[in-house]
Amino acid sequence: MMHRFPDRMRMRSLLRAAIGAFAIAGAVACSSDKRIVLTVYSPHGKELLDFLEKRFEKAHPNIDVQWVDMGSQEILDRVRAEAANPQADVWFGAPAETFDKGAKQNLLEPYKPTWASAIDGEGKDASDNWFGTYLTPEVIAYNSQAVTEADAPKDWDQLLDPKWKGKVVIRDPIASGTMRAIFGAIMVRSMQQTGKPDSGYAWLRRLDANTREYVLNPTILYQKIGRQEGTVTMWDMPDIATLEQRTKIPVKYVIPESGTPLLVDGIAIVKGTHHPAESKLYYEYVTRPDVLIESAKQFLRIPARKDIPAAQLPGWIQDALKQIKPMPVDREIMAAHLDEWMKYWDANIRNRGGK
Amino acid sequence: MNDENRKQTWLIATPVIALLLWTVVYPNVSVIAGSFENGLEHWREFASSPSDREALTTSIVISFASVVAALAIGVPLAFLLGRFEFPGRKVLRAVAALPAALPPLVGVIAFLFLYGESGVVTRSVQHVFSMPEAPWRLSGVPAIIFVHAYTMYVYVFLFVSAGLERFDSTLDEAASGLGASGWMRLRRVTLPLLMPAIAGSALLVFMNALGSFSAPYVFGGGIRVLSTQILVSKLNGALGLAYVETTVLAISAIAGLLLFRWLDRKRKYTLSAKSSRQRRQIKSRGLQTLTAIGAVVVVILLVLPHLMVVLVSFARDGAWTTQVLPPEYTLDNYRRLFSEAELWKPIVNSVSMALVATAANVVICFLAAYLIVLRRFSGRKLLELLVALPWAIPATAIALGLAATFNRNDIASLRVLLVGTFWILPLAYFIRDIPLVASAVESSLKQMDPSLEDAARGLGASWLLTMWRVIIPAAKPGLVAGALLAAVTAVGEFVASVVLFTHANRPISMEILAQLRALAFGTAAAYSVLLILLVLAMTFAARGFEERIA
Repeated sequence: MMHRFPDRMRMRSLLRAAIGAFAIAGAVACSSDKRIVLTVYSPHGKELLDFLEKRFEKAHPNIDVQWVDMGSQEILDRVRAEAANPQADVWFGAPAETFDKGAKQNLLEPYKPTWASAIDGEGKDASDNWFGTYLTPEVIAYNSQAVTEADAPKDWDQLLDPKWKGKVVIRDPIASGTMRAIFGAIMVRSMQQTGKPDSGYAWLRRLDANTREYVLNPTILYQKIGRQEGTVTMWDMPDIATLEQRTKIPVKYVIPESGTPLLVDGIAIVKGTHHPAESKLYYEYVTRPDVLIESAKQFLRIPARKDIPAAQLPGWIQDALKQIKPMPVDREIMAAHLDEWMKYWDANIRNRGGK
Repeated sequence: MNDENRKQTWLIATPVIALLLWTVVYPNVSVIAGSFENGLEHWREFASSPSDREALTTSIVISFASVVAALAIGVPLAFLLGRFEFPGRKVLRAVAALPAALPPLVGVIAFLFLYGESGVVTRSVQHVFSMPEAPWRLSGVPAIIFVHAYTMYVYVFLFVSAGLERFDSTLDEAASGLGASGWMRLRRVTLPLLMPAIAGSALLVFMNALGSFSAPYVFGGGIRVLSTQILVSKLNGALGLAYVETTVLAISAIAGLLLFRWLDRKRKYTLSAKSSRQRRQIKSRGLQTLTAIGAVVVVILLVLPHLMVVLVSFARDGAWTTQVLPPEYTLDNYRRLFSEAELWKPIVNSVSMALVATAANVVICFLAAYLIVLRRFSGRKLLELLVALPWAIPATAIALGLAATFNRNDIASLRVLLVGTFWILPLAYFIRDIPLVASAVESSLKQMDPSLEDAARGLGASWLLTMWRVIIPAAKPGLVAGALLAAVTAVGEFVASVVLFTHANRPISMEILAQLRALAFGTAAAYSVLLILLVLAMTFAARGFEERIA
């Protein structure tokens, strides 16, 4: 390895590479136009968010919507971590339970939208911290190649039948707002019937006995159901409908006969937003009747507003809304106990094979 | 050591130590402080929780098993490629580092498609032997170790290869001349000389396995490890418990660190000569065929996950259900990718952030390794600890610490507003890659005779000249290997990015995640193919660079 006297050229080319790296980074960091940047945290996915961004920016050319796509639990976590210096302006999408937590930790800026009266008590926060945008009924879903419609479980309790042993694949309830809502509803039912959590735990224990696997991610859940690693699951209706209508994954859903938790998905303004006026514009825009109808048609979202004429919604939503029997879920009991129930489930029920 | 020398040591050491204290230690002190926010209550909760105890044990078992597996693959492979000439050597050498080019999340998904219950390999075996059920299930501890062995043996391989490159074969010949048997030479000459590389890479594997997130995240449905347990607690709103779990994970990692340092304690050997790189030709016909077949099998195993990603990138989403291979192919995934207006933005973001982070790594870690290996001063132990610390802290915790520390401008408490800006991710990448680059450089420097520096100085060379002519050449194999690994890790980084990214610096991994979330496996795979190509391009660029400066 012969080295000549410190080679200036070589030094210089190294330096140049380093300066170049910083220059590129600097340019990337600073490249932005003069529009007001509105940051939206949302779990609603690229397609819907892209659609809304384009429409909104057309209507408000001075605003640049930048959305960050992540799960609703992650958003809560992030908004909490950024509370000292909020990065987001609008939090678009999370179940009521998650918003309630955010409100309790003083992370949300109350705002009463112009259409506040079009939503009933269940679908909004009493102190205007958040309002409902979409309804998400929970359903039982199955692989339609492996299970016939007649054989598919019709109600929650039928999932406990031994014939489904090793066939149930569900998302890990700890990380999933949807699964927490279903487990929570089962527990609340137990509390309301017996005043104790025991029968709820017994139910979950029997479900665990039938469960093949807890999956940590919805995409992998769909994949496993589609490829028959498991054949039945519980999930939310709009997502399953999307799979059924937009992909080739052979899946169908059943609306549980005895009733189902009807989750409300909402929107809120983040406390400490740097752009309160623009946040409100976005808030109002994505919940306009025409935008909601378009979202229902293109992205299978069921609007929460009650003043939208049912006739303008897609047929499958009209049918579903007639069939669904909302399970009465006491949000206060949920808020008070859900974390404790989930912790108990995680420590004492998960993967015990029903024992 | 004379006074001037000592002064100079501290002149370099002070800024390096200060920078590391500020970026590595400070954010994590707040995490530890957070675990005590209610006195000992969170700690009691941890101690009384059976699932947390289980997670701790499982984490440690997985980490040791991953080390054993990675050594078992990496060391023989490095020897085979470094010492022997055989048909297929060049191809094998070219793909040996390939697993490093598989971004963490993508790699795990590729494994799922290959070896998962409904994966290609699994279903093939099932069909061939007409079994009613899948022959195995890729889940739990073995699955995680399997994935770790595949992705992490690269550290061992690269380190040991670099060590072999600097290996003085005359020592071996001398021992042979003195009548030492092959086994004796391996045990008494070769292995002791390679110990720094082996211990250094084993440490990296251990730390990486301990903090590993995506493998347990995808395969660990049934089991618990600390890194996912932290996420569970955090998402459940039990931040205090998450801090305790983070602290316990860090303590386990530091215990591991001390253990591997102890294994490496007896270094008394130095190499002064440049080796003559001679590979032995395998002569026996039978052995030749055997190694060739072996090489082909290994190459296939190494390339399969990449092929899988490519295959999925051409498969129509959702059409692949119970068949062995995807039944329908399409260019739609790529079409969709290239119709994306902002396609290049995440790529430009990732590359520039990786470049910035790696540039900083090269400078800081070279200085740190130099101080640790070649200078004797009272801050050495501290520096050694600081440099290894980021491996001891799971990426999620690094990210959380950063988010809590650099969230406002406040000079009095040494805070700078970086959260929400472009610079927070390069900082996170820089921190994550410090141990990688530093230990690569260290193991190179350890093979240098320390008296060379004094000799050069004694002959009147200035400090800078000594650096340029003696130290940097000695550090170079490690420096290039470390920088390459750092850049590659940074460009596909997932865990810290997911906590800290903003719209302005959205990296490639977040784009892939967004596609996966949208169930666009095909588009995610297409994006991954781009990322893999990018990593390969970087590898070739680094090789070219290495040759030019050599």
